[in-house]
Order: sequence, then C-alpha cells, then structure tokens
Amino acid sequence: MALEGYSLGIQRLDDVVGPVPPGTNILIIGPPMSSKDVLLMQMAAYAFMNKEAVIFISTNIPGNKLVDMLHDIDGFDEEKIGIVDCIARTLGIMSPETDLIQMASSPVDLTGIGVRISKYFEDFYMRKGIKKIRLIMNSLSTILMYSNIKTVYRFLHVFTGRTRSADALGLFGIESDMHDEQTLSTLKQLFDGVIELKIEGDKEYVRAVGFTPKPTEWVLLEEGGGD
Amino acid sequence: MLETGIPKLDKLLGGGIPRGRTLIYYAYPGVEGKVFGMQTLYNHLKKHHSAIFLTTSCSPTPLFKELKEFGWNFFAYLGEKFRVIDSYSPFIGTKDELGIPMDETEVIESYTLHLLREMENIGEPTLVVVDSLSTIMDLCGEYETLEAVREWNRYAKIHEHVIVYNFTAWPYSEDVLQELKENTFEATIMIGGIAERVIFGQYFGLLKAEWTPAERKSVLFKVVRPGGIRVYVPKIVVTGPHNAGKSTFIRALSTEAVSVDRLGTTVALDRGHVEYKGLSVDLFGTPGQERFDPLLKIIGGEAMGVFLVVDSTKSRDFVRAKQMLESIKAYGLPFVVIANKQDLPDALSPEEIRERFSLPRNVDVIPTIASDGVGVFEALERLVDRIMEDGINEGGV
Ligand SMILES: Nc1nc2c(ncn2[C@@H]2O[C@H](COP(=O)(O)OP(=O)(O)O)[C@@H](O)[C@H]2O)c(=O)[nH]1
Ligand SMILES: [Mg+2]
Repeated sequence: MALEGYSLGIQRLDDVVGPVPPGTNILIIGPPMSSKDVLLMQMAAYAFMNKEAVIFISTNIPGNKLVDMLHDIDGFDEEKIGIVDCIARTLGIMSPETDLIQMASSPVDLTGIGVRISKYFEDFYMRKGIKKIRLIMNSLSTILMYSNIKTVYRFLHVFTGRTRSADALGLFGIESDMHDEQTLSTLKQLFDGVIELKIEGDKEYVRAVGFTPKPTEWVLLEEGGGD
Repeated sequence: MLETGIPKLDKLLGGGIPRGRTLIYYAYPGVEGKVFGMQTLYNHLKKHHSAIFLTTSCSPTPLFKELKEFGWNFFAYLGEKFRVIDSYSPFIGTKDELGIPMDETEVIESYTLHLLREMENIGEPTLVVVDSLSTIMDLCGEYETLEAVREWNRYAKIHEHVIVYNFTAWPYSEDVLQELKENTFEATIMIGGIAERVIFGQYFGLLKAEWTPAERKSVLFKVVRPGGIRVYVPKIVVTGPHNAGKSTFIRALSTEAVSVDRLGTTVALDRGHVEYKGLSVDLFGTPGQERFDPLLKIIGGEAMGVFLVVDSTKSRDFVRAKQMLESIKAYGLPFVVIANKQDLPDALSPEEIRERFSLPRNVDVIPTIASDGVGVFEALERLVDRIMEDGINEGGV
C-alpha cells in the first residue's frame, strides 16, 4: 500500500519539484516580510482540499485566531485538523484544550509540544484512518528565541523522524535574518529539502534546494504568494 | 514509604519510595511523562505532607489551573509546607505570584542554591519534585546538570528527602542518558510509547529500584481527566477464515480461558487471557465469518495487535484471508500471520504462504499446530516484540 507522494499545493513549486515522497521534511526559509506564512497557509489549504489531515504547530498565532483564518478555506474540516497552540497560555488564555486546539505551556515546553504532536498523529492515523498527514510549524524562529540550537536540534531530530515514520509531510518555517549562518546550516541537515524565499525590490522570488541535483531557478512569486 | 499515587507502580516499587531515595521518570519524547511527577506530588500533598516543586517550563498559576482538569487542586496546599520554585517566569520575563522566583536560569548553581535552601528551610524530610530535568539540561548543559544532580541526591540522602525527577529523553549524549538510566538515581521508571508508524499506546515499567528487585513488567496506561494515570490490559485480536483454528489458538495460549458463555452477550466471541514476559494480554477472537471492523469498534482504542490465523492446507480460503489482511493493514496495527495446521500432510510452508500473500520479508509468518500448542508462544513472542519495539522512541529512526 505505497502512499502516493505529496504535492505542496504551490503551483510554481510543484511544477519544478513534483510530488515529494511520503516522509519528506522541508524547511521553508524567508526574510521577515516574505510570504512564508502565506505559503504555509496555502499548503494547509491544499491539504484540506485533498482530504489530508493537518497538524498545525503555531508558535506565533493563538489557536483560535488560526482557526478563524483557516475556517473559510474550502474543504476545512474540524475532524482533519489539530492545532498545537504554543502561545495562548503565555498570553494568559486559559481556555480548556479541545480536540481541535491543544495547548502547550509555552514555546519552551518542547516536551508538551511533543506530547500533543504525538496525540494528533495517533488520532489521525489510528483512530480516523487518515494516512496522509501534513505537519506544519509556522515558525521555528520563535522556538529558537527561547531554546538554544542544540535543544532545538534534538527536538527536531525526534520529530522529523516521527514525520518520516508516519509517512507524513513536514513543513517547518523559519526567518532567514534572525539566525546566523551556522544555526541555519545545522538545522538544514535535518531536512530533505529547503524552500527559499527572497525579496528584491518589490518582487519576491522562490526556489527549491535539495529536491533536484541543482537548486531550481529563482522564480517570481506572484503577489499573494502564488495561485 | 512515600507512595507515587499510581497503585500499580507502587506495587512494582514494593510499596513506594523509601526516605532518602531518588527516582527518575524517564520518558521518551511524545509520551505523557509529566503527569507521573505531578501525580506523585499531588498524592503526597493530599495527605497533608510537605513538598517542594521546581517548575522550569511553565509558570505555576497556569500550570495549577490546567491540572484542575485532573481533579487536582494544588492551590489548596500552597504555603509554608508546599513551596514552589519558579525558574520559568523570570526566564521569559513575567511575574507569577505563587512561586519563589529563580533568576539566572542558565547557571546550574542557581538551581542548586534554591533547591538546597528550600530543603533546608522546610525543616523536615520532604518530597521534592523537579519538572523537568531535561529543561535544566537544555539550559545549563548535560554534564554540568548531571554533576549537580548527584550533589542534590547526596544532600537528599543525608536529610532523608525524596527527590522525584521528570525527564524527557531527547537524543542527548549516549553516556549521559546511560548514566541517568543506570547510575544516578535509586529507581528508574521507563515511560515509553508503543509504535508502529505512529505511537498508539503508552507503557511504563520499572527498570530498577535499589530497594526492591525489579520485576520486568510493562504496564499499559492512558491519561484520563479527571484521574491521571489509568492502567489497562492490552487487547490482541485473533482473526482469520472460518475453521482456521482461531478458537484452538486462543485456548492454547490462554492461562485463563474465559468461556464464550460467561461473556453473556449475543456475540459469540472467543476470549482468553495470557500473562507473558511481564505483559498481560487479553485475546479476542472474531467469530466465524464476521468482519474484523465491528470487533475493533467494540474494543476501542485498546487493541494493540492482530493475529491472522490461516489454515495452511486451505488455499481456497486465501483470497478471503488476504482481504482480512488488507483491512488489518488499514488500521495500522502490528500483526503476525499464523500458518496453522502444519501437522497436516498437504500444509503449505510459511514461505509458500508468504509468497501466496505477497508479504514482504519483514512480516512474520509463524508455523503452528494450534491443536498441540506448538508454535503458539513463539507467535505471541513475535507479536509482543513487534508491539513493544521502541526503535522509533529512541529518536534514532
Ligand atoms: N490438524 C489440526 N487441526 C487443527 C489445528 N488447529 C485447529 N484444528 C482443528 O480445526 C478445527 C477448527 O478449529 P477452530 O479453532 O474451531 O477454528 P475457528 O473457526 O477458526 O475458531 C477444529 O476441529 C480443530 O480441532 C491444527 O493445528 N492441526
Ligand atoms: Mg471458533
């Protein structure tokens, strides 16, 4: 029962890298004003359309806000999404956890984040029988604000591994300008490929590294992040 | 003896933790290890004993609010006899009224200073719960922390305090993990996940306790709110075509056969129970032509694995058996194929059956003669191994 690959859901990228095999982990690097978060949302939207499950680890938007944003997307289905909210508690929001939103204590609480990711994997894979799952983390940068690179590396080492075992697709966003080159290159080792964004003048470009023997050409990303 | 508040664990520990001893809850990433330390702490407070709690990854107020879901009201005990050291709030730059704030969270001496001071101030043998050791290691370094922990433990021993540590076993240095598991504490409780492609069950077991012989036993648990840790018996499903030998197989394995009648339902289920290598397992047979799905619904989330029994002489049943196999695979549960009735002259060999089913190498096909009990425990052993395989938990995937 080999699973078919995952399309990213961004036409310009899918054209050049094609569907990626199950178990792939991708790092998405972009400068502060880039469409990194927009791309992640589009990748989530594509999953909804495709009846995949989404585990969304949010380190910079509270879970209920994220639900508001996702709610109007075609194919949105509460049964197929699980949010790990890493910041609500730090903002003093004490609403109880639900099937839709689980809350870690803080971005420091990697143990708690990990427990909740595992719960959603079990829930989707075993209980709901959904074998295609995408794990999206909107920013590793927030995690890196509180924990050193060694700690984050260990965390990612485990959870990119879990993504691989579950034949899922892991998509992890990170700010390019907030971290030194060494931090980024340490993290890159854990990923099968990197999607890079850059802004030149008022134009934004994207390319994929590690999927093809050479990095793809920089292609223009339309305003709003694509199609 | 200081009880952990988890009855099954207290039993494994020979009653609990004696004074002056230390214990680590050594949990693999992704399993709910934190609850263990918190349950031990609450159980102790509930009896109006004193305690010290060090929190490193959450402020006390939101943490205690959240723990109310378990039916645990930590707020009720705060005061002279229940002291909370809070290294987290200062770290992220917030204030929390409940705890004693601790600065310099990246300096290990700071933890030593606070812990020893509170142990001294409390003025009687007490319980200290550290949540968690891994955060301290992340902030202060693995080796520095290990050395400090040894000092805390020595201090506890002299003053008859008990220290309980929550720990998440991220992929730290091998030697540090080894030290923590084997040599740093008097007792080590392993908390792991049962994984096939994803973790779908959790267990704990006693790796060692210096005051009592360690019984090699893995106990399955769930975390329930309210209540905390709840132990359950895992269920294994025995399925296969009619007359393949399912009932016979269950009888051959069972130490404690539960008759179909006693079940008192209209569904004629075979049931059995077996204690094996420290694991106790309930066996459920699917009746005759019944499908596999309804049974899984009945036993809910507690199914841990599946035996597919086939009569090795009846190749005309194989089509049906293959369909059953597909539906087992769809659930993602670990399974083993039983090539039964190997005593009969026209029986196909396990290898031939593997070919007919186009099963890959890593799937076990075990030859048995269920009617003589031959091979049945080997089969159980293989399935239990598959279920308890924890390669995925070591982070070394
Ligand atoms: N020769 C032989 N007969 C067996 C073996 N296992 C079971 N049987 C017989 O096969 C028949 C069906 O077994 P049963 O356990 O009732 O099958 P079920 O329908 O799958 O529950 C019975 O007559 C058993 O005695 C075996 O290993 N060898
Ligand atoms: Mg029968």
